[in-house]
Amino acid sequence: MGVGRIIGVAVLGFLFMFFVALDLVFFGVVALDSAVVTVLPVLGLVVGGVLGALAGRRQAGGQAGAPTA
Amino acid sequence: MKLMRWCFAGGVMVLTLAGSAAHAGAGLEPGSTCSASGTFRDAGVTVDAATSSGVVTVHHTDTVDWTGSVTGAPGPYSGSVWVKLPPPFGTVTVRSWSGDSQTTSNSGTEHYNLPSMVPAGITFTVAGEHKDNNGRCAGSVQLQFDGSPLGSPITWVSLGGTAITGIGAAFALRPLFRKVM
Repeated sequence: MGVGRIIGVAVLGFLFMFFVALDLVFFGVVALDSAVVTVLPVLGLVVGGVLGALAGRRQAGGQAGAPTA
Repeated sequence: MKLMRWCFAGGVMVLTLAGSAAHAGAGLEPGSTCSASGTFRDAGVTVDAATSSGVVTVHHTDTVDWTGSVTGAPGPYSGSVWVKLPPPFGTVTVRSWSGDSQTTSNSGTEHYNLPSMVPAGITFTVAGEHKDNNGRCAGSVQLQFDGSPLGSPITWVSLGGTAITGIGAAFALRPLFRKVM
């Protein structure tokens, strides 16, 4: 399934949503003390891990079905 | 399709939280019998804790003339003012005080000078409380610095981080975007 990919995408998801949360704070969309600032990076971590697992499965499936020369 | 449903549910949850956060209560808490106000000289804004609502826009540098009073002789008293951070980080105490007095009011002048690196768009909550023989008095106000958020290099670093990590995540998830034959 590619544990490396799951962890990698989860970390990227965390960082991506962390920066999105910072952007929202810097542009005044959410207040500094809003729970959104905490929730978004955690959401990125979880969704990133799930998407990483799906991507690993999809790639493994594609390679298994690929014709060999 | 299931994944899309989960993403949608997550999005709704975040938007709900964001919506509720925007209406965080400002002003004095019920039962508070004191009064407190501050006038930002350069901004020309007076913030009264009892009537404050919405977001008050102030400068990065200013001088504040503050005043506070309680209904009766306070006796032993203590209090503090803090800035609220996102959970679970709690608060940062800006100022605290304590003592024993019979005076029912106090006033003073404070000068603050925050670096221009602090992005202008940030909305932050400053809260405070004062305890004495009259009881507890607490309140909060939402402040925002004037100017453009893009004037701070920190904002650009954040936008760059968003772009780089977003592209990285999309690159790592390429198999999901590939058409299955």
